[in-house]
This record gives sequence, C-alpha cells and structure tokens, in this order.
Amino acid sequence: MKTSYISTSALSAATRLSLSKTQAKLAEAQKEVTTGRLADVGASLGYKTGQTLSLRQEHARLTTIIDTNSVVSTRLTATQAALKSLSDDSKLFVGQLIGARNTDSGPVVVQAQAKAALVSFTNTINTALDGAHLFAGINADVKPLTDYYATPTSANRQAVADAFLATFGTTADDPANANISATDMQAFLDGPFSDLFEDPAWTTNWSAASDQNVKSRISSSELVETSTNSNDVAIRKIARAYAMIADLGIQNLNEAAYQTVVDTATRTAGEAVQDMANEQSRLGIAQERVKNANERMSIQIDIMTNHISLLEGVDPYEASTRVSSLMTQVETAYAMTARIQNLSLLKYLPL
Amino acid sequence: MSLSIGLDVALSGLSTTAEQTAVVSRNVARANDPYATRKIANVITTANGGIRVASVTRAANSALLEKMLSATSTAAGQQAIVQSLNHLHETIADPELDASPTAMIQKLNDAIQQYAAAPQDPIRAQSAVAAAQNLADSLNGASRTVQDVRAQADAGMSDSVNSLNTLLARFETINTEIVKGTRNGADVTDLLDQRDVLLGSISEEVGIRTVSRQNGDMAVFTDSGVTLFDVSARAVTFDRTLLYSPGATGNAVYVDGVPIAGGAGVMLAGSGRLTGFAAVRDNAAVTYQNQLDEIARGLIEAFAESDQSAVPSLPDAPGLFTYPGSPAMPASGTLLVGLAGSIRINPNVDPAQGGNLALLRDGGMAGDPAYIYNASGGSGYADRLNQYVTALSDARTFDSAAQISTGATLGGFASSSGAWLQEARRTANDNADYANTLLERTSEALSKETGINIDEEMTALLELERAYQASTRLITTIDNMLKSLLATAG
Repeated sequence: MKTSYISTSALSAATRLSLSKTQAKLAEAQKEVTTGRLADVGASLGYKTGQTLSLRQEHARLTTIIDTNSVVSTRLTATQAALKSLSDDSKLFVGQLIGARNTDSGPVVVQAQAKAALVSFTNTINTALDGAHLFAGINADVKPLTDYYATPTSANRQAVADAFLATFGTTADDPANANISATDMQAFLDGPFSDLFEDPAWTTNWSAASDQNVKSRISSSELVETSTNSNDVAIRKIARAYAMIADLGIQNLNEAAYQTVVDTATRTAGEAVQDMANEQSRLGIAQERVKNANERMSIQIDIMTNHISLLEGVDPYEASTRVSSLMTQVETAYAMTARIQNLSLLKYLPL
Repeated sequence: MSLSIGLDVALSGLSTTAEQTAVVSRNVARANDPYATRKIANVITTANGGIRVASVTRAANSALLEKMLSATSTAAGQQAIVQSLNHLHETIADPELDASPTAMIQKLNDAIQQYAAAPQDPIRAQSAVAAAQNLADSLNGASRTVQDVRAQADAGMSDSVNSLNTLLARFETINTEIVKGTRNGADVTDLLDQRDVLLGSISEEVGIRTVSRQNGDMAVFTDSGVTLFDVSARAVTFDRTLLYSPGATGNAVYVDGVPIAGGAGVMLAGSGRLTGFAAVRDNAAVTYQNQLDEIARGLIEAFAESDQSAVPSLPDAPGLFTYPGSPAMPASGTLLVGLAGSIRINPNVDPAQGGNLALLRDGGMAGDPAYIYNASGGSGYADRLNQYVTALSDARTFDSAAQISTGATLGGFASSSGAWLQEARRTANDNADYANTLLERTSEALSKETGINIDEEMTALLELERAYQASTRLITTIDNMLKSLLATAG
C-alpha cells in the first residue's frame, strides 16, 4: 500500500531549484536598487522599449535645439546691439546735420563728423562673432563692407569720385565746384550718386554680403531667419548719407548746393533710422520666437524625462523591500535545506 | 515429510529476502541519481509453498515521461532562441547607453543641427561627418553581428546534429540489448533507465514521440512524425554553412531525405534545439537584418541630393551616405538585402579619404556640380543642413519584409526595430521561463512517481531484516524439532 510518495532526489531538487531561482531574482533586485532602473530594460519592457528609445532620442533632439538656440540667441542679441548703435549714430548724425546746416563752419565740422561716423559704421557692420560676420548674410566668412578709407583707394570711394567727375567735370576738392547749382547737385544726388548705392554697384563696390539671411531651426518645426545683411536698405541709406557729407567736398560748394546736400543727407539718414527700426523689430520677433520655443521645449523635456523614468525606472523602496524579502527567503531556504538533510530515518533506526 | 518442506520454505524465504535486500541496496545506491527509477522485486509462491523472486521491474510512468520529453524539447528550443536573441541585443543594448541605431541617427541629427547653427565652423562640420561615420560603422557592425548570430545558430545546428547521431547510435545498442534481455527474461531495468536518459538527451536536440512495442522495443519519431529510430538508427544529415552573408540561405537538417529543421517542408520538427536555432537563423535574424537594411536605405534616401539646375535633368544621387550601387539610388520602398553591411559615408565629404567637409553644407557630394545647393558658396549657408534635419523627421515608406511599420520617420522606424527585437526577446524569455518551469514540474512529478525514497527503502529493509530473522528462527526451531525426533528415535 502506498499513500503519498516522494522520492529523495525530488525532495532535495525542490529546495535546490527554488534556491537558485531566488538567488537569480536577488541579483536582479540588487542591481535595480543600486541603479534605480530595471535590470534588463529591453527584456522587461518588450515592445515598449520602442517608446523609451523614441523618448530618449526626442529628448536628445530638443536638448540639442535648446543648445543651438543659445548660439542663435547670441547672434541675434549681438546683431540687435549693432543695429541699435547704427541707429543711435544715425540719429546723432541727423542732429549734427541740422545744427550744421546754417552755420559757416558747418561744412568742415559736419564733414569730419561724417568721416568718423563712416569709419565706425564700417567697423560695426564688419563685426564678427565666433568667426561669422553678423551682417554678411550667408557669406559668413567675408567682411561684408569694403573699408572706405583704405589705401590704395578702395573701389567704393573711387566710384564716388568717378561719378562726381563724370557729372560735374571736376574733382570733389576743386574750388570751382562753387559754381554747381543746387538743382544740378540735387539731380546728381538723386541720379548718379544714388545709383552707387543700388545694385549692381552696391554689391560690386560696397558690400560682399549675401542677400540670403541665415535660417535657423529654433524648434522641431520652426525655421526662421536669424540674421540680417549689409544689403539691407537701411544700411545702404546710412552709407549714402555718410558718404554724401564726407566725400563730396561740401566745403567747396555754394550755400544753396551745400544745403541741398545737407537736406538730402538729413532725409536719407532719417529714413534709414525708420528702416532700421523695421529690421530691429523683425529680429526682435525672431528673438521672441526663440525664447518661446525654448520655454516650450524645456517643458517637453521635463515631460519626457518623467516618461522615461516611468518606463525604465524602479521604485527604490519597492526594490529594496524586494531585496530584503528575497534575502529572508534565501536564508529560510538555507535553513530548510539543512533541516531536510537531517530529516532521515537513518538517524532513528537502531542499526 | 512436512518438516523438511517447512525447512525448504524457510530456506526459500532466506534466499528471497537476500535477493530483495540486494534490490533495496541497488535502490539506495542510486537514490540521488535523478534518472534512477525505483526497482521492485516481484515475489511469487513456488509449487512447494516456498517463495522466490520471479522478476525485477521498475516503477515507470510513460505518460509523465512523454510529457517530460516534450517539456525538455520546448525548454531547449526556447533556450536556443533566447541565447541568440541576447546576442542580437548587443546591437541595441540598454537604451541608456545610446548605442542603438536610433540613438546613432539621433546623434547625427544633433551634430547636423549644431553645424546648422554655425555653418562656417569646420569643427562642427568635422563632428557631423564623424557622427555620420559612426552611424555607418554601427550599421555595418550590427549587420555583421546579425550574420555572426546566424553562423553561430548554424554551428549550433551542426553540433546538435552530431550529438543526435551519437545519441541515436547509442540508443540502438541499448535498445537491442533490452530486446534481447527481455526475450531471455533477464533484468533489463537498468538498461531501461539508460534508454530513458538517452531519450531525454535526444529530446533536447529535437522534439520526439516514442512508440513502445513488443519485448521492450521502442521506435522514436520526431514530433512531426519523421522516423529517427526504428530497429536501427536513421542518419541525420546537415551541411554546415561556415560564413553567412545577408541573403544567404542556410541548409536544412535531413533525416531520410526529409527536412526536419530549417528550410521548408511539412515535416519540420516543432520543438527542440534544432528548431530553435533554425528559427533564429532563418527567421528572426533575417528579419532583423531586413530592418537594418531598411534603416540604411532610409538614410541614403534622407541624405540623397537632387539636381539643383534651373531645369533639373539628372536623377537623385546618394549624398552623405552611399553604397556600392552608387550613383543610382536604391529603389524607393524596396528592401535591398545587405545594404546595412555596405553603407558607408561618401568619400567626397570624408577628409580622411581626401574629401571636403564643406560639401556636407554646400551639397555636390554626388560629384556633379549640378548637385551643388549652395550656389553662392557662402559659408553661412544653412538651408541644406536644415533640409537634412527635416528629411530625418519626414515620413518615408519601408518594405513590409521588415515586418514593422511600412510608413514612419527614419528614427521612428529604427525605434520600432529596437522595439521589435526587445519584444521578441521578452517573448522568448517568457516562453523559456514557462518551458523551464514546466520541465521542473514534470521532472518533479516523474521523480515523485518513479524515484527512490531512502526512508521507504529503509523501512523495507527493516521488514526484510525481520523476515530474515523469522526464517532463521524457523530453521533453528525445525532443527530442534528434528533433533528431538532423532533423540526419540534414539
């Protein structure tokens, strides 16, 4: 007769197998406690691994865009500062022109001021940031504006001189220029002289910049123009106003012609300030968009970080509780094994 | 004469007890052998009223054995799959390590985004090209890993076939002895144990079914019904493929000209190591290779250059990433087997190969000036770089042979590929866990049913001892009686 039966090897195998399983679980739980993440993310999450892979990549992408946005922001801020100083200089120049219009010493003073302004204007336009010229459009490695007072005489200055000679038959420093009538002067300023600041003369003699502005990706889906260039109409007008006063020999002109030049320069510089404001606001909008995009992306990044840790993370308290309960289990299994080994009829038989 | 009969019977008791004790000690000696079965001495009464051990049989349970064999096959097969998939897992690793193709694509995307922020900076160009190089290398490496896994599975099948042939040969020897022994009425129980052990080993290689016949003979079939052993062992043949390249097809394992693993057929075995390895070699690894190839094709497509002339006349050509079939583009939406292994970055943009970094920004990597995007040559030109970033997040079409989404962004497709592999791994792990647990349970059940319990043997020994003592007492008593009879007779 046999009731319930168990073989000796099954009895010892049962404790042995359960012990090795518990130990494997213990190793896993220990790893999870120390890292705070699943021991084997892929095997635990299965198809959901795709989510954490995507989230991590999205996270990296947004972090990079925020990073590159700081480059963009720096460029925009520097450009804005340059535009502001150009605009301030123009306003100052307008004031100087008005002051010099009706005084005898006016021409000499204002000519010197225009020369200085033209030099600082050229310097400002030629500002470079991190190897890239702010006003060069996409031609970042070229100085956008030709230095007017370079030696030998630069192309843009030569062109002004040539135009003057072609129109009036004299050079700008000729005292005979006192004979030039205000009407002729106005015609010259609006005609041949003005043409020097229009294409193709402008892009040949003055500016090496590209019309094409730098476009930057400021968020996953937004591409915006984040630079300006020296072919902008405001820049041309400022250059025209400065060159008019600086290099047309205004001290040799009669009063009417002189006043015509001054009036035209005042008007041009005034317009330039207006146009400059447009450009400033265009870039200001870009700055605002970058700022908004950054804020939006920071929020997204926070959400993603949360999601990733939700997927891959392990509750440290749960894991450490698991470790201690598994350890108790292992200890119990050890004790059990020892006692089961002792559990033998042999010990009680009087053999 | 009854006294002498009594003496005979007591004597037979003694010898029977001795034989039973021998069986008990055989049992005790093998108590810790998991494959040992309990031997039972069957005692019968002889014509003169004595007893003798007629035969020794063993505790057996063929239903449980059959169940354990099938659990063994399943566990071994799943184990083979898990092992191979874990190897493939190296191409993804922990998502935190950012070593997967998805992460590498993202790193390239980030490097290009950085470059676009300062297109005049050659250092950033350098790092973008380096990221592209890393991506191409990692795809090449992943493709090699997949082919290694296939070659290893093939080697596993070859080992498995060798061991199967050895096992079947030994099975034949033992089976013949059992049949002979059974006919002669000899004790074949230890041979039967050995044969069961062999069955266990065979079932690890391939799922089997057994049929018991007269005289202890046994025939073995695969679980799909192909004869492995019937009176004599059948030869299992397999032609090993040493080196695998994408698109290469491995050979099948044949028995009597019928394929039982790998290849196509209706008689393919359903479980066992052979089946597990064949599944990885011919399905999982091939599909994963297809996915990698599609990722490579997606990359070539995303970075392709188009004719920038006012009136475009040239077809698109591979740009940053190219392949041996260049300048033609790989057919859109169609798998090109082995592309992941042969994709590389365009030498025209790689300074290490005499290329020009700036082509990444300006275009023209395809070699023809018509493909130059940056017409003015300005170093601040970022439009093309921004196009790359857009192209990487554009949806494109993938071949259904990859068995994942057919319409996705490149990064999304690569993520899905990672998800596909991890899901396969999780499923295989779960299946292996389940199969192992089932195997443990059935082994335990079988062991409980047929194994040896020392305590029981000891109790039996006590009984035998008492029986022996009683028999000797009987002999002494009969001796005394005879003595008194003789004394009376004087």
